[in-house]
Order: sequence, then C-alpha cells, then structure tokens
Amino acid sequence: MFDLLLAGVENILHLKYLVPLFLGTFVGLIGGALPGVTITMTIIIVLPFTFGMDPLQGLATMTGVYVGGSAGGAITAALIGIPGSPSAITTTFDGFPMTQKGQPGRAIWLGIWSSCFGGLLAGVFLIGATGPLAAIALEFGPWEYFALFVFALSMVAGLTEGSLVKGLLSGAIGLAITIVGFDPIMSVPRLTLGTEFLRGGFPFLPVLIGIFAFAQLMTDIEKMNESEQLSAPIKAPPLVVSHLKVLWEIISRPFLFVWSTLVGILIGVLPAIGGSAATVMAYDQAKKFSKHPERFGKGNPEGIIASEASCNANVGGSLVTIMAFGIPGDAVTAVMLGAMTIHGIQSGPLFVSQHPTIAYGIYAAYLLAHPLMVLICAFGARLFLRVVTVPKSMLIPNVLVLCVIGAFALNNIMEDVVVLLLFGLVGYALVKARFPLAPLILGLILGDQIEVNLLRAIMSDPNPWLFFTRPISGSLLALSVASVIFALWQHHRHKGRAENVEQEPDF
Amino acid sequence: MTRDGIAGLICLALSIAMLVLIRGLPQSSFVPIGPDFYPRIVLIIMAVLSVMLIASDLWRQRKHATAAAAGAEPAPEKRNYRLVGITFVVFAGYVALLPLVGYRVATFLFMAALQAMMEPPRNARRWAVVLISALATTAISYVVFDNLLSVLLPRGSWTGW
Amino acid sequence: MRIFTAALAGIALCAVANVQAAYPDRPIKVIVPWSAGGDTDNIFRPFGPALQKALGGATVVIANIGGASGTVGAREAKSSPPDGYTLFAVHDYIHSTYYIGISDVNYTDFEPVCLIASTPSIMTASPKTKWNTMQEMVADAKAHPGTISVGATLGSTSHFFPALVEKAAGIKFKYISYDGLAQRMNAILGGHIDLTDGNLTQKGKVDAGQLKFLAIATEKRSPELPNVPTLKELGIDVLYSVSRGLLAPKGTPEPILAKLESACGQAAKDATFADSMRKQGTDVRYLDRKAYAEFLKQNDTLNKDLSRELGLLKR
Repeated sequence: MFDLLLAGVENILHLKYLVPLFLGTFVGLIGGALPGVTITMTIIIVLPFTFGMDPLQGLATMTGVYVGGSAGGAITAALIGIPGSPSAITTTFDGFPMTQKGQPGRAIWLGIWSSCFGGLLAGVFLIGATGPLAAIALEFGPWEYFALFVFALSMVAGLTEGSLVKGLLSGAIGLAITIVGFDPIMSVPRLTLGTEFLRGGFPFLPVLIGIFAFAQLMTDIEKMNESEQLSAPIKAPPLVVSHLKVLWEIISRPFLFVWSTLVGILIGVLPAIGGSAATVMAYDQAKKFSKHPERFGKGNPEGIIASEASCNANVGGSLVTIMAFGIPGDAVTAVMLGAMTIHGIQSGPLFVSQHPTIAYGIYAAYLLAHPLMVLICAFGARLFLRVVTVPKSMLIPNVLVLCVIGAFALNNIMEDVVVLLLFGLVGYALVKARFPLAPLILGLILGDQIEVNLLRAIMSDPNPWLFFTRPISGSLLALSVASVIFALWQHHRHKGRAENVEQEPDF
Repeated sequence: MTRDGIAGLICLALSIAMLVLIRGLPQSSFVPIGPDFYPRIVLIIMAVLSVMLIASDLWRQRKHATAAAAGAEPAPEKRNYRLVGITFVVFAGYVALLPLVGYRVATFLFMAALQAMMEPPRNARRWAVVLISALATTAISYVVFDNLLSVLLPRGSWTGW
Repeated sequence: MRIFTAALAGIALCAVANVQAAYPDRPIKVIVPWSAGGDTDNIFRPFGPALQKALGGATVVIANIGGASGTVGAREAKSSPPDGYTLFAVHDYIHSTYYIGISDVNYTDFEPVCLIASTPSIMTASPKTKWNTMQEMVADAKAHPGTISVGATLGSTSHFFPALVEKAAGIKFKYISYDGLAQRMNAILGGHIDLTDGNLTQKGKVDAGQLKFLAIATEKRSPELPNVPTLKELGIDVLYSVSRGLLAPKGTPEPILAKLESACGQAAKDATFADSMRKQGTDVRYLDRKAYAEFLKQNDTLNKDLSRELGLLKR
C-alpha cells in the first residue's frame, strides 16, 4: 500500500497533474474565501473545465478545489467575520474577535495551519482505515440516522451563549423553516399559503447566506457613523506573524487538535451530514472539554483550531466515503461524486483494487493539495488582507452583489434572491433580539433529514419503540438527553461563578 | 417586557398560526403518519419554548424591579439605524429591478446608489470614484461569471440584456 | 449618472434588436431539474459540449434547478421565454408528477426536441436478502405479502418500475421513501431495504458481491450482464427504462427547433458523448422531433394508467 501511495505521489508530481491541482487549489481558496460563493458553487463552476482532461487530471483539479475551498472559508471568516463557506461558521466565532483585537495574522495562520494538519492527519488516517469505518457507516438505518441528527441538534444547547431557552428556540425556528414547502414523501404542499413561490420551500443556501451575511453586514453598517470620515483607510493590520509561535500554539494542544480531527473524520465518513455539522460539533466539543469555556467567542485560539482542523479532516472523511461507497454526504460531495461518474469511475469497494493508479492518485492529490494551499496562502496572504482594508462603503455593496450571484447561480431562479432578501431581514431581526444564529443553522441543515429518517423508520416498521431499543439509536438518543443536561449544568455552574455578569453580544 | 419577551410573543404567534395552517393535509396510503405529523411536533416544541422565553423574561423583570430599580441600563451607543434601513430599501430595489432590467444595469445602479448612500460624495472626484467602481464591479463580475465561467446571470425582461 | 444609465439603456436596445439576427448568438441554458451529480445531470453534462460543437460553438450551459421532486425546474422551464435559449432536460417523471398532482406542468407545455438516452431498469436486491434469483424473490413475496421493502422515490420512475413488476407477477411490496439512486444504494448496501430500481452504473458493486441483480427490464439480455435474465424470459412481462430527452418551451419558433433537432442528432453521434454514456451503462437512443412526440404521447398514457392503478391519480 505504501509503495502504491509513493507511486501515486510521484505520478501527481508530473507537471501534467501538478498544474491542474495547483489551479484547482487556488480557485478553491478564492471561491471558499468569497462570501456568498460556496464550495459547492466553486466545484460546479470548475467541473466543466475538467471535461476535456484525462480522469486523474480532472479529479486532481476537483480535489484541489475541495481542499482549497474548505481552507479558504477560514480567511474571510477570520478577517471580516462572514463565513466564506457554510462550514467556516464556527471560525467566525473566535477568528473575527482575534482580528478585532489586532491579530489578523495570528487568526488566519492558526486557521490555515490547523486546516493543513487536520487535513493531512485525516488523509493518513483514512488511507489506512477506509474499510472498517465504511462498515460502521453502512450499519446505520433510518432509526440510527434520526437519533444521530437529534444528537447533533441537541448540541445547540452547548453552543448557546446566555440563554439556553433562546438557543433551543433558535434551533426550533431552523427546523420550522424546513417544514415549509412540499413534504418530503408525497410532495403535499405545506404552509405555502397557496402561492407558487413557497411550494419548493426555502432553499438552504439562500437562507444561510441571507441570515449570515445580513446579520454581519447590517451590524457593521449600524456602526458606520455619518459624522465619521468613512473612507479613511483602515490601518492595514500587520499579517506578519511568527509561524513557529502559531505552530507551537497548535502542537501544544495535541488533545484538542487530534480530537477535532477525529470529529471531522467521523462526520465526514458518515453519509448525509456534511461539513457544517462537523465544525459545529468539533467547536462544541472543544468548548465542553475546555477548562475555560467562557473564553470561547472572544478570540480563543482553541476555537479556531477546533473548527479548522475538523473542517479539512471532514473533507478527507467524505472523500473516502464517496470513493468507497458512492454515497455523497452533502451538495459538495454529490458534485464530487458526479465528477467521478463523468470520468467513468465506478465508485464502490472494487474501485481501489481495480483502478489503483487513479485511487492512489486521488489520495496523493489530496495530500499534496495541503502544502500547496499553505504555499498559496503564504504568497497570497497580503492579497487576501486587502479585503479588510477596502473601505466599508465599497466592500459591503460588493459582498452583497456576490451574495446575490451566489443565491441566484445555484438554482438559476430569481425566487432564491427574494428568499435571500427575506432571510436577510429575519437574520437581522434575530440578531437584534440577541438570538444565537448557530443553532438555527444546524436546525436548518438537519431539519429535512430528521423528518425523512423519522418517516422512513415508521414506513419500515411502525413500532416506535425501535428508536430506543436499537442499540446505536438508543445510545445516541441517551447521549442527546445527556448533552442537554450537561449544558444546563455547565450553564448553572457558570452563572453561579460569575453572578449576573451574563455578557451581552455586541449588537 | 423586553426584547426577549417580544421575540417570544412573535415566535409563539408564528407557531400557533402555522399549527392552524398545517391542519387537514391529505394522508397517503403509503405513509402511516401524515405530512402534518412531524411539523406538528416541531411547532409544538417551538410554542412551548416561546412560552418559556416569555415567562423567564417576565420573571426576570419582576426580580430586577424589586432588587434594584435604580440600575438603569447604560445609554446605548448611537447606532446608525437610518443607514441600515436605507441599505435594506436599496437592496430590495436591486432585487426588484434584477429580473426587469437584467444583471448588468441593475448591479451598476445598485453599486452606485449604495455607495453614494453610505458615503455621500462631496465633490465631482468622489462621484467619479463611485461611478467608476460601480462600473468596474459590474463589468468584472459579469465577464468573470457570465463569459468566463458560464454562470448565467439574470437577464432583464424589459431589456433582454 | 443619468448619462451612464442612458448609455446603458441604449446598449440594451441594440441588444434587443440583435436577438433575431442569428440563432444562437448567446449562451443556451439547459435546465436540469435536479441537483448536480445526479443521474440526469451526469448524462446532460457530457451532452452539453457535444451539442455545443454541433451548434457551431455557442456556449451550452447546464443549469441545475433542483427541488421538490424536479418540479421547480419544470415550472421554471415552462415560464422561460420560448426563444431557444432555454431548454429543458427531462425524463419520464414529467408525466407521473403531473398525474399524481405534485406539479401543474405537463409535457404538452413544451415542444419536443429530441430523445437522447435511455437507461434500462434492473431489479436490484440487497446482499443481506436470502434470494439469489428473481423466482425465489417472487415466491417469497407470495408467501409473505407486503413484507418485502422497496426503496423508491414515491410517484416517480423508481416507484413505477417495481409497481409494474408487482402487477405482472401478482405480488405486493412495502414501499419506503428514498429519493435518488445514491440514497437508495446506501440503504440497500446496509440491508435497510430489500429491493430497489437499479441500473448498470451499479455493476461494480454487484461484481464485489455487495448487491444482487435479479432481472433486467429489457427485451434481450444486456451484453454487459450476460448472466442476468430479463423479466420477460421469467414470464413477468415488464419492459422499463428511464428515457431522457430535451424539450423547449411551447411556442419556440419552428426554424430554431429544426436547428436544435439537427444539432441534437449530430451530438448524439459524438464519440466522447457515446463513450461517457457507455461508462454509465446508458444506451444512446436518438429520436427526432416527430418520433419523440409520439414516444411522449405513448409514455403519457402508460403513466396515467399506472397512476390510476396505484390509486395515486389526481386528475
């Protein structure tokens, strides 16, 4: 196996494959970093360019986009506080406060190095452990998926700042958004008020872009004081940073780093969950294990390491699942799988043994994309920083235009742009009412899946007790209850320690 | 009642309204539970949480009132809500214009209008900067997406462009 | 700024005047009503470049408009201007979603352009089932009616194929909703469903012993699968395949349709396209406008009858 990998690396190092990989990583970084342009969109945009290539060239490009895109989200998240792609949401929690404290270099390099190492560790781990992990994922039936999603959602309790009720309510709002539109089984229109517009429901991406982009941008706009000289160039914050220091910050937290990577891998391997859930879970875990959970959200390096390591580890996990099973985890992996099929690759357990050159070529491309990504960032970091030094009056309209393109281009319909505007208003209102947004997003991601798996379980066997008596499903549901109780307890302890100093978010 | 209480009331009203609307959906012979089963669970949870939020808000207010009536909230920092309102209106105008005049015209107008609103140009030079940057954004984004990347952008039904 | 607007408006008017000049002079959008990476997307993405070549280089863009069982894309295609710059990539679902009342869009809202490919259905079983042949499955189903679970998108092709088998073999299945082939494969590999509507793209999993092909719904055995019997030779008279073609909005001018038809015929012969279809286990099957219109009409009657028999007919 090792010599196969070595041959794969040697193969990829040919200019014929290295150039597409480099370009893919570069485009992925830009696409991931641009708010409103998601990895899914970047991959869809790049896909047609690969048609003319040979299969490995095409797949190396796509792998580069996927890896670059996952890391690129961190740059925007840390520098301007808007997740460049959905999975970078948790990077905004600590990366942006760190930038505001005048350490943008530290914030993005913590993110980039964590992505790189998390991704590499996931790659090494997964090349060896594909088989057994795949076997576990296959055992998950609808009951187990339902329980797993409920467990993920119960984590909102750990994510909430301040009020637990508000966090749970925010999650419930996220779930409620997903029930609008056709029901997932027989396509009965629900809550459409008789309009065509609402029949398809609220598509996930425009809602997400709307809520996040507007919540952030409008809060920025609020602070633009008319009397102030707005276009006075913001002092370019120094991006120079001691890489050794940043690396030490990661290495000195081996448990946090390895655990976040494992969470990322696990969520990646499990089909149908996707990247955003991985980072949210890893962040939540980091916070729960931390001795100082109150430091999270204020520029804690641990928050950045957890979310970025898990983000790129998740790419490794999903990559192996789609290669071994042909099961996509989310929109991004669905397009990756499509790219493989277009290049004539039958994904399945025979793939690795029948096409070792391509399989190990993809592994090698995946491993090489990480150092390439760091290299591009090292040269392009100043360029990325330009984004923060552009005056707000110029930056904000540009970001809004990109949000519109992102919302429109995914499905090519104007309705999605209207949804973007609608949820921009909702997002701003929620921020003003001091609701945490992360639980809402998790509810939004998982809502459809929870319902579909609940229905499938009941269609398979009408006995409702199976949810509790099937071992994996039962223990996941028990864990969900434990998660909420633990959050309540932690919340209580926190309150007792710091009487009435419940800090309000800066809105 | 503070923001929490009001937000709770809005959520409660929404969940009750949706619970009313969800009634009477047709059942299917293939699914033992109807399409209203899961939404009802979610909406009831949402309603209960809203009530809890309202209750905790009222309870906290009473506690605050008895404990320290003096501790008035610190004067909020001056916020530029006018500009937020303007931005939403301009953006809504952009969304409305897009399908009518197309991406290129609408984006140019939107970029120019929003920049001018955020930082009113004081002289001809500033106006030129605003217009040129609006034109540049429109042109570059159009060329990159529509021409180079084949991501089709909206065309106007009035202009066909 | 007023000058700029006036200038832009002027340019816009010029563009309007130019539309009639030569078709196609701007990118053509092909609406695929499902998300990228699905079966239909995988067939039309390689078809795009072939069509582009046949049309003399005008860009052909695949636009994925997913959502609500493909009906959002259908509605969008129906309401697009009939100028030949928007085409609709369709398969048999257009009939079934209309009859079971999910969608208001019917095939008659479009002009046929051409049929390009058809993918035969294969009755596929989970490795965790005890049957090795179709006959064993049928015997088991007769002994325990309503216990064998089938994963399907209810009301779509993956539901109608097993429903036809049910009728022809006199058996009864239990249906569980799984949208899309990828999700069904996940469930069937794990043994969470017993049967599903598969196709040749899953051959790799069958060779690995992870899936069982019971029977194929074609007239003759497939050369790729010489050991898999046809349903017909087992006495179950079912022929079924998912056929994908191109439609244009109603009212598209005749000369444009003619030009598209001939380009389509040329693209269907494209070697690269044929190669990628072979890899996906799909037959290139070209029908011109007239033949495709006839095909659609027959298919429509078939789907209406089926919907009625399943008790799903709403119109």
